[in-house]
Amino acid sequence: MALKVDKSFNEVKGVWVLKLHGEIDIYTAPKFKETLLNVIEARESDIIIDGENLEYIDSTGLGVLISGLKKLKETNKNITIINLRPNISKLFEITGLNKVFIVKGV
Amino acid sequence: MEDLKARGDQEVNMDHIKLSMPNKPEFVGIIRLTASAIASRIGFNIDDIDDIKVAIGEACTNAIRHGCEKTNDTYDIEFFAYEDRMDIQITDTGKGLASLNIKQPKAEDLREGGLGLFIIKTLMDDVEVITSEGKGTIIRMTKKLGVD
Repeated sequence: MALKVDKSFNEVKGVWVLKLHGEIDIYTAPKFKETLLNVIEARESDIIIDGENLEYIDSTGLGVLISGLKKLKETNKNITIINLRPNISKLFEITGLNKVFIVKGV
Repeated sequence: MEDLKARGDQEVNMDHIKLSMPNKPEFVGIIRLTASAIASRIGFNIDDIDDIKVAIGEACTNAIRHGCEKTNDTYDIEFFAYEDRMDIQITDTGKGLASLNIKQPKAEDLREGGLGLFIIKTLMDDVEVITSEGKGTIIRMTKKLGVD
């Protein structure tokens, strides 16, 4: 299974919006990392990650999100994660990452 | 009394499924699908199946990242499907894990790695990790049917 990332910059709000489709695992995480870091390099702004169509994530994907957040924190920017499915939301809770990222709405 | 004894001696029905997988990330998805199909046959609900998928994904990731060293190394996955539980064993023959120190991750001390074993322990009912330097790692985990 693959991962597709739709990225767009919302000029009004001044934020990146990344829509994730599919699965982030050991296979797709490197590509996701590249996309995330490219986006941050292109424009250092807050990032909204829409997880509505994210079906699977594990520690490899969470690790990429953490590395992106670390980079953004250097300029006091943040990552907000929205629309997570319950099974994925649970992973953020058990790892405590729901307190590290801004996690909103189911 | 004799009836009970007879029942006690009866072999427990169990299906043993064994796979040997290449040390390559693109195959981990297949293992997750396999695990999900076996778990579904046993009768696990969707939430439990999601837990099993993540746990086995983490264990395979572990075997690939820390177990297998050579390009064509393989690692083994064994499923033991019982009527009321599923045992999974992942065995690699790599260098062994450096640390089994599993702690709840801390918000102020964020690292990109080290979450895998913690996640497995949280999602599964029983987890055992046997690792020896230079010999490899065995992760055994159990998910019981109808246990929260």
